[in-house]
Amino acid sequence: MQCNKCPMKLKCSDSPRQKKRGLLGFFRKKKETTTAESVKMTQIALVGMPNVGKSVLFNGLTGTYVTVSNYPGTTVEVSRGQTSIGELPVAVVDTPGMYSLLPITEEEKVARDLLLFQSFDVVIHVVDAKNLGRMLPLTFQLIEAGLPSILAINMMDEAQQLGIEINPEYLERELGIPVVTMAAAANFGVNELKARVAEYVSSNCLSRSY
Amino acid sequence: MLAQIAYPEAIEKALAEIESLLSRENKLSLDNIYPISRRSLALLVLQKDPTLWERLEQNDKLLAEIEAAILIASEQLGEPVTAAIASSRQQLAWQMEQQVLREPSEAKTPLSETIHKLTVNPITGFPILVFILYFGVYKFVGEFGAGTLVDTIETFFEENINPVVNQIVATIIPWQPLQDLIANDYGIITLGIRYATAIVLPVVATYFLMFSFLEDSGYLPRLSLMLDRLFKSIGLSGRAVIPMVLGLGCDTMATLVTRTLETKRERLISTFLLALAVPCAAQWGVIVGLLAQKPAALLFWAGFITVVFIVVGYLTAQLLPGKKAGFYMEIPPLRLPKFKNILIKTYVRMKWYFFEIIPLFIWASVLIWFGRLTGLFEQIIGLLEPITLALGLPEQVAPIFLYGFFRRDYGAAGLFDLQQQLALSGNQLVVAAIVLTLFLPCIAQVQIMIKEQGLKTTLAMIAFIIPFAFFMGYLVNFSLTILGVSF
Repeated sequence: MQCNKCPMKLKCSDSPRQKKRGLLGFFRKKKETTTAESVKMTQIALVGMPNVGKSVLFNGLTGTYVTVSNYPGTTVEVSRGQTSIGELPVAVVDTPGMYSLLPITEEEKVARDLLLFQSFDVVIHVVDAKNLGRMLPLTFQLIEAGLPSILAINMMDEAQQLGIEINPEYLERELGIPVVTMAAAANFGVNELKARVAEYVSSNCLSRSY
Repeated sequence: MLAQIAYPEAIEKALAEIESLLSRENKLSLDNIYPISRRSLALLVLQKDPTLWERLEQNDKLLAEIEAAILIASEQLGEPVTAAIASSRQQLAWQMEQQVLREPSEAKTPLSETIHKLTVNPITGFPILVFILYFGVYKFVGEFGAGTLVDTIETFFEENINPVVNQIVATIIPWQPLQDLIANDYGIITLGIRYATAIVLPVVATYFLMFSFLEDSGYLPRLSLMLDRLFKSIGLSGRAVIPMVLGLGCDTMATLVTRTLETKRERLISTFLLALAVPCAAQWGVIVGLLAQKPAALLFWAGFITVVFIVVGYLTAQLLPGKKAGFYMEIPPLRLPKFKNILIKTYVRMKWYFFEIIPLFIWASVLIWFGRLTGLFEQIIGLLEPITLALGLPEQVAPIFLYGFFRRDYGAAGLFDLQQQLALSGNQLVVAAIVLTLFLPCIAQVQIMIKEQGLKTTLAMIAFIIPFAFFMGYLVNFSLTILGVSF
């Protein structure tokens, strides 16, 4: 991912062909490996604003542990784990929080660049039910980018305590992508999310097939 | 169904223009490289995304045309394109939220709201901070962790493990130097493993336990909010509080977390301050444990390090050009942490820390052994001795600074060990503690610093830190002597 930071590489004239392959081939190779991998393994990314519970969900999905805490910015690097949904082996990627596809800080750039340089079968946008309105702009951007997205409305338990009610069916119709409500910390809704991912992957494969 | 967001006409026009410009340039056809839609790419280019712009920079003509399109759009809009794009998205989001979300009309102020106000208001916030520092840090980590626990495990080591190891090694290995590698005064087991498990581990464990609790409660962002003004004066935003507090656990971890800061300048300042004036848990835990008997000395040490932190931070901020950082941070809800989560988190951190330090402690033991065997160790200590004496410290402290080169906590543990044998005076302890605190960051931290800031910057920082640490120690010793203060 550092390759693109170095514009010199294209200018190097001693072995231009090789260098060029080094730069462009980098991405191509990345794409190839991911498509090659995705034959056996579905790729899922967890994205969203800081402190919405991506890492909690990651832990819940993969059974591994990455540090979670109650402040934004705990995750500064990408973590990778694996799980299976039914028969389907799935690779899950946890990302640092980001506010929009246009990054401001380094950690946001880490998350955004992941979406730019790797293709995913499903991108799960995790949002905080208590701040839905503030988080939807990123959902729009994911849809706009043509990424296969699912909206996971997390922290429903806390929202309910505040008396907030959300109608996910309506939102699903409005957005045109699957919407799941959950409380990952209480392990509520994680199974439904898995089911929706499986559904989404199989329907996407059908529509993508030749 | 949301096909796509409709942006203001001026933006749509610019987007269409950029999309056609981009597709005209086959060599640069970004949509072959990136797995996101053409419209999305055009939006990023329109907002001058640095990653994409770097790719376009090879083509001046294209860039000029795009610049022109952006200029026209922002003139028609009367505001920057980024702002217009963000606001049309946000508008749609609020609209949609209204349709799908029902909120209770009268919001009651829950207890957490009251606590929130208490923690962010400086008048009540500072007493709360002092309360947490006193009970969480001084009582729990300092007295319980670095006092009771360390004493218990140390005694156990010295009475049950070291003699046995020494004896076994003496019977099975006939060669004295090899015996020293594993056992006796500087052996891998009798020194390296003992420092790691008996001195460092209890301190780090109690700190991580307390820190995990604070983390999950949501207190730290509120502390950031309260300290924002103080931090602004040293060129940092309140956001930097978290890496700094994290640095009190492990500076290596914290240096990595400086990534959450917005500007390069802010990252540089906080990385530097972490390396200089933020002691890690093992270090300050041991120091608090050492000075706990002399509260005045402890307060002096803490006050001195705080002043160094603020003054050096302020001066660095003045010297480094650049935009001052703004403060923007999510304030998460206050929550009562779940006990199980805290335990898991502490356990994971401990495991990470332990596996990281054990090899280093062993390496340090091997190096010291090698150094002693070849006489190199004595030579370096010989060089350090005059400095040590100038600081008013006994010559036996010189090796401690050498340990500090390997790891801060190793040095601190050495000091702790020495104190038990030598009974240093209050002043000597304070001077040694100050020098060790300011002294070189550990090897792991230096590695991360090089990774995040580059070799040149890191070397420059180290070149400042080492003489500075000794000079401050000298200054403190000198002033205390002149003023006739003794702790």
